[in-house]
Order: sequence, then structure tokens, then C-alpha cells
Amino acid sequence: MEFHSKPGEYDAINYVPHTESHGTKELWRTFWLLLGITILDFVIYFIMGPSGIRNVIFILFGLVKAYYIVGAFMHMKSEKINLALSIIVPVVFVFGLIWVMLYEGGAISQSHTNHSTETHTEVHK
Amino acid sequence: MSNHSEAVFEKQPMWAGGRSPFNVSYGKLMMWIFLLSDAFTFSSLLIQYGAQRFSNVQNAVTTKWPDPASIFNHFPFMHGLHLPLLFVSVMTFILILSSVTMVLAVEAGHRNSKKEVERYMIYTILGGVAFLSCQAWEWATFIHEGARLDGNFFGITKEGYAHLGSVHFGSHFEWDKAVDRTNGPVPFAALFFIVTGFHGFHVFSGVVINVVMYIMTVRGTFERRGHYEMIEKAGLYWHFVDLVWVFVFTFFYLI
Repeated sequence: MEFHSKPGEYDAINYVPHTESHGTKELWRTFWLLLGITILDFVIYFIMGPSGIRNVIFILFGLVKAYYIVGAFMHMKSEKINLALSIIVPVVFVFGLIWVMLYEGGAISQSHTNHSTETHTEVHK
Repeated sequence: MSNHSEAVFEKQPMWAGGRSPFNVSYGKLMMWIFLLSDAFTFSSLLIQYGAQRFSNVQNAVTTKWPDPASIFNHFPFMHGLHLPLLFVSVMTFILILSSVTMVLAVEAGHRNSKKEVERYMIYTILGGVAFLSCQAWEWATFIHEGARLDGNFFGITKEGYAHLGSVHFGSHFEWDKAVDRTNGPVPFAALFFIVTGFHGFHVFSGVVINVVMYIMTVRGTFERRGHYEMIEKAGLYWHFVDLVWVFVFTFFYLI
């Protein structure tokens, strides 16, 4: 049995993707960029002491690396905007959960710290 | 397809059916959806790590979160040297490199160059195996030093205790003269094993998928099919594994 789809219809059986090579120049550029940021991570780790600012720098670097991996290596930049938004927008919920859970964790730590300080004071009365 | 039918195609509304609004094949779209769900899984694990870390009482000896630099400071064949972050940076480099060879295989697939796809798939598989070997070594060292899924020997050191003399520790703590370290918070080791283990399992699955893709390429399956889109789907998964490692590296080793 032969299967013929109507023009313009998505046809999973006879589907041939539109493929086009964009060359390897951009890919290698992305590689050097990722490597550079990782080396920068390494350098900052040793020249800066542990601090909140250093953590923010590391997280920002991580997000930049994520942008280039998804954009260039996974070709998200050349996908349709419909697809890109469908995949990226739901991730926003993750940031909400991060904020909530870190806040909760901090509150637990705070309550225990207060408790242990009280115990300490009692002992030395 | 003739120019005429393409014109008809363009005139149809985007979401009225009969066309693919995302302009990708079903398989590729589903791979993206799977990666989104996998991203949520990894997020939940990393958020758990963050919550545990934030909830630990920082000024008590037995719950103080260990400094990663004082634990992951080993390098193969360099015993006794304090080399924090070096080994894990090498692992990161290996994974980035294997990501590049993967994307080069995808690019070769776009040109229907079978020989090049084969070559770059071999490089990618080797990169994955190298990464897994590094992780095995990292785990072996960590376990050898006393880390367990249900325990953590990486509490505060004797030296660190002396420096923290002015901080309140709670009434029941006394330094045991026989040991150099106290027990630390259990979630530290447990979460390290769970998160890097889950990631390592993904790398392992990726290597298996890549081996299957390599065999299919060698046997000419994609050549007969006329396109190498399967390599692209495997590539999406492989890059995702690299993406997750970026965040594991940031949260477990850098911060």
C-alpha cells in the first residue's frame, strides 16, 4: 500500500527534515567560550574568598553557559519561537521553587540557631 | 513539493491543523518535552540540596556544612597534595569537548557524510567513557575517605574547631581527642551520591544511546533513510547531560 499525504500535511512516514549545514565555525567559537568561562570560574575561585558576590558570579556564569549550550549546541536559536517558548517558559517555575525552598531552609536554620544559643546561655548561669 | 503546494501550505493558519506549528518532527519535539521533564527532576534534586544546605546550623560543630575545597582536593597520581577543583575542572573539560564532537557529528549528518558521523560519534563515546571513569575515581576516593550514603565523616576539623573557639556550639559538645574530624551533616554525602549518581546514570545512558547510534550509522540505516535526524535527537540528550553538569559543578564544587 502506498501512502501519499496532501501537500503541506505533516507526514511522519515520508518525513524528510530540512537539513542545512551552518558550518563548524560557530560551534568551535561556542566551545572556546564555554572553556573560557570554565577557566574564569577556576581563576575566580582562587583569587576571591568565599562570599555572596562570588556565588552570584558563579550562578550567572552557569546561566551564560546554559544559554550557549541550549542556543548553539542544541540549535534552539534556529528553532521556531513557538518551540523555544514552549520549552523555556515552564522552567520559570523552577526559580519560584528555588526561592521558596531556600527561604524555608534558612528559616529552619534560624530557629535551630536561636535554640542552641539559649541552651548555651542556660549552662553558663 | 512544488512551489504551488508550498504557497498553499503557507496560507493555512498556524494552529488550524494539517501542519506542524513547531516545524520539527514528532520525535524531536518529544525529545524536547522529555528533556523539559528531566530538567524538572534535576531541578528538584538540586533544590533539595540548596534547602538542606540552607537549613544547616552554621555555628554548631556537628551540622556545619563542609567546605567542598577541603574534601574534593585530590588528583590521580598526586597523593597528599591539596589540589581543590582541579580534577572536577578536567571532568568539565572532557564533557564540554565531547559535546563539541557530538555537535560536529550532527553537522556532518546534515551533509550526509557517513564517514565523518562515524568518526565524531567514536570521539563522543570516548569522551563519555572518560567522564564516567573520572567519576568512578572521584566516588572511590570519596568513599575511601569515609563518605557513606547514610553518614558523613566530613564535619569540622580539629584545626577548624580551634579557630571557632568564640562561637556558641551548644552545651553537649566536647572534642574527642582521638579523631581529627567530627561527623558532619548526613545530607552532604547523601546528596552528593544521589545527584552526581543520577547525573552519571544519565551519562551512562547517553553513552549507550551513542553506541546504538554509531552501530546504526555503520550499518547504513541513516544513509538508506536519507537523513541523520536520529543523531540530532541523541545529540539533544547528550547536550542536556552537559547542561546539567554545568549546574552540578556550580552548586557542588564552586559554591
